[in-house]
Amino acid sequence: MSRIVTRPVPLTTNGLALPARGAGGVTAGAVRVLAVGGESGPGPLQSLRQWSADLGIDLEWAPDLPRATRLLAGGDWDLVLAVLGDRSDEDLTWWVDALRAAHGGTRLIALADRPSMGLALRAEKLGVLDLLALPLKREALAAALARVRSAATEIAVALPPADTDDAAADGHYALVGQSPAMLEVYKVMARVASSTATVLILGESGTGKEVVARTIHHHGPAATGPFVAVNCAAIPENLLESELFGHEKGAFTGAVARKIGRFEQAGGGTLFLDEIADMSLALQAKILRAVQEREIERVGGGDSIPVTVRLIAATNRDLQEAITQGRFREDLYYRLAVVTIQLPRLIDRGDDLLLLIGHFARQFGARYGKRIEALSDRALELLRSHQWIGNVRELRNVIERAAIVVSDGTLRSEHLPDELRAEESGVPEHPGGGLPTLAEAEARHIARVLSHTGGQIGAAAEILGIHRNTLTRKMKEYGL
Amino acid sequence: MRVEQALRLLPNLEALLPLRGLVLTSARPDARVQWGSGGPYLTVGKREIEPGELARTMGQVLTLVTEHINALFAAYIAALECQERHDAPGAVSALVGAGRLEEAVGRLSQARAWYEVSLALAETLQDRRPEIETLLSIGHVSLALGQYAVGARHYQRALVLSEAEFDRGSAVDASVGLGDAAFECGTWTGAQAWYSRALRLSEAADDRLRLGQIEHRLGLLDRREGNLTRAGDHLRRSREHIEGLDAAGVARDMARVLDAQGELDAALGRPGPAAGAFREALAWVRRDQHDPALDVSIRLHLAELLLETGRLLEADEEMRRAEQLAITSNQPRALVRIYTALGSLRGRQGDETGFVFFEQAIALCRAFEGPAVDEARVLLAYGLFRQVSGNPDEARAHLERARDIFRSLGVEAEVERVEAALGNSHGAHTPAAGAG
Repeated sequence: MSRIVTRPVPLTTNGLALPARGAGGVTAGAVRVLAVGGESGPGPLQSLRQWSADLGIDLEWAPDLPRATRLLAGGDWDLVLAVLGDRSDEDLTWWVDALRAAHGGTRLIALADRPSMGLALRAEKLGVLDLLALPLKREALAAALARVRSAATEIAVALPPADTDDAAADGHYALVGQSPAMLEVYKVMARVASSTATVLILGESGTGKEVVARTIHHHGPAATGPFVAVNCAAIPENLLESELFGHEKGAFTGAVARKIGRFEQAGGGTLFLDEIADMSLALQAKILRAVQEREIERVGGGDSIPVTVRLIAATNRDLQEAITQGRFREDLYYRLAVVTIQLPRLIDRGDDLLLLIGHFARQFGARYGKRIEALSDRALELLRSHQWIGNVRELRNVIERAAIVVSDGTLRSEHLPDELRAEESGVPEHPGGGLPTLAEAEARHIARVLSHTGGQIGAAAEILGIHRNTLTRKMKEYGL
Repeated sequence: MRVEQALRLLPNLEALLPLRGLVLTSARPDARVQWGSGGPYLTVGKREIEPGELARTMGQVLTLVTEHINALFAAYIAALECQERHDAPGAVSALVGAGRLEEAVGRLSQARAWYEVSLALAETLQDRRPEIETLLSIGHVSLALGQYAVGARHYQRALVLSEAEFDRGSAVDASVGLGDAAFECGTWTGAQAWYSRALRLSEAADDRLRLGQIEHRLGLLDRREGNLTRAGDHLRRSREHIEGLDAAGVARDMARVLDAQGELDAALGRPGPAAGAFREALAWVRRDQHDPALDVSIRLHLAELLLETGRLLEADEEMRRAEQLAITSNQPRALVRIYTALGSLRGRQGDETGFVFFEQAIALCRAFEGPAVDEARVLLAYGLFRQVSGNPDEARAHLERARDIFRSLGVEAEVERVEAALGNSHGAHTPAAGAG
């Protein structure tokens, strides 16, 4: 399949051009800066005032966070300088939270006395543009301002048009993608849809397992029947059995009336059991019986009730490993895995990323009354280099958030969440300048591995080759 | 291991409450699960805990518990010493101090037990001031426990005594307390009368902080009554009083006023200024000593505003921020409020799986021995949720239980609300009614 070509958009036409201030850009003129915190006397504020004309900044000052939120809400700002002084690392989180909330797209630079490694890593994670040590040096500020100005030179790239992106679209539940990995998925789906075979869908979180299940249902013989989805991971363990099989009145405390379970609700249609690996072994045995004998018993009831449902199960876990560890019944696995569909991770889907961005931009643009036709090269770069632990669901979430805050037809890096913008961060390797110490390098590497594993301590410890208790201790030590 | 599994292994003993709190605060979300289809329904029960981490942090918690028990023992010994010196007012003061220590760590029933002992002693004294102090403390803790009628009774006695003693400060406190009790019970006229009386007394003393606090309450009351213009006037005056103080320790009051202003702006259909007020309130709440419960409360109001304006994703994110804050700061009562709100939100979206939030909220009420009024509020919201999701029998069971609790607490306004919902329930006794 040919690669999708992204086209630069002329900067002077019909609203696709990156605007000057007001839509997030910084004009070639003065940079409007709000300094927050610090003292009005000698200190960083005094230096900033002295340098402002020279560095081309239009400076205002808010003595504290409440006043800063008021000022930020009332105007357009290019940059916020958060004078943290000797505040703790934890303070940075809620400063960033409060300042970003007051004015979403504004870039932030933190100023701190003797910034620690923990602060540097936290700043990087929060998408803070730079972390400067106090006393403030003119050259350091000038370099940071240059980064703010350069960030304004993003080039718009047109999103793929609607007609190329989603041949398999199915209303709200659209399967979007043309990558070889997805074509394989479509082939299996086409083969299995016309039968009533039980299907097991495997794939990481957010890869679209429920979308695939719904599509199979809608194209199968039970399409006119109900599609009932149960998320086994969401429901408290003690309630899952009654949720699936129903209960008779008085079966347990709180069973105030007879309840029809999801198996019965799905009669004549499809029952989708998501996150099936999160079920207890006792409940797995009951599911096995329902699959084998096509009948169920309500909790507290003695009668067997026949059920006619197509079962589709899904999980993000490694079921083979779960079987080895005795956490999942092998006989149930073979009953469910009559046909198996393995969904690819988003990072393995190549140019599907752009198709999905286009699809979600149109979907959420319509929802929020906006026409989004392009995204900037910098935003695309950030989206392409992100790990996407949450796969398509995470991307969908990111584009929805961006669609809420975008003010013209182009999604830019400033519309992306902090986690993605962290890569824009110019926070130095060593907060005090120069080469990092061994501990700093270790802290940075641990942070990188944790980011790679999506915060999974066990997986991170495995990659790092240390015990998870050692990792937890080091995380605490480095403030990660 | 999941929190729900860990809590099942912990017997429901009062002495183990700090350990239960430790399990809560140690809970970490699993990033993979967060992005799974179960992500929107995740509750603290589905978070993971590491026994190793519990073992490591246990020492800090035990130190805090030891310090707390030490302080209680010391207060008790101080009371005994005072008694030996025939200094009964000193003994009352020491016992009240112990109660305050318990209140500060959220042990409200235990605080009340100390105050009751203190009151028994104070009632024997000729000097009525220790009795007034104790009565005010019982009134305060009773309201926090949702026992409004009991609280009002104690405030009433405190008022009578403080007037007899010409103790204006205590008379203001008692009047405000009586106003709060009336407010919580939905007796607007009574609340108005008590707050106005407190205002007059404070004006005479020119106590600006107290004036600001009372104007704030009057603002809340007027908003509840639908008099939005007058509510705005009260809040403006409240802000002027508090801003004028420019002293440490007013950040919390300022945050409360801005929070109320945000709610008022939202009621007036001004989402922009409302969001600005909530954001500024959040900035104030962090300025001095952080009050996580107030922080959560403001975030929930902000989430409601976002919800009203159709910004569901942001509303959800704000609630999740509040959830994280409530978990890390060991605020099970705040978590109960958050899960109730999340359940109601899912209900509005027609999402039946939202019931998991109510179940979690009820489990938290019981595991952390929260005040009965908390569980009643959850049951009311759960009942309404079940009504629209087409489960009238279950809805009625929850509503009837909520009504019984509210009635036992004397919260007539809520009893009437539940009765009205039960009326709807009788009229909508079909699975299809209101579904969706």
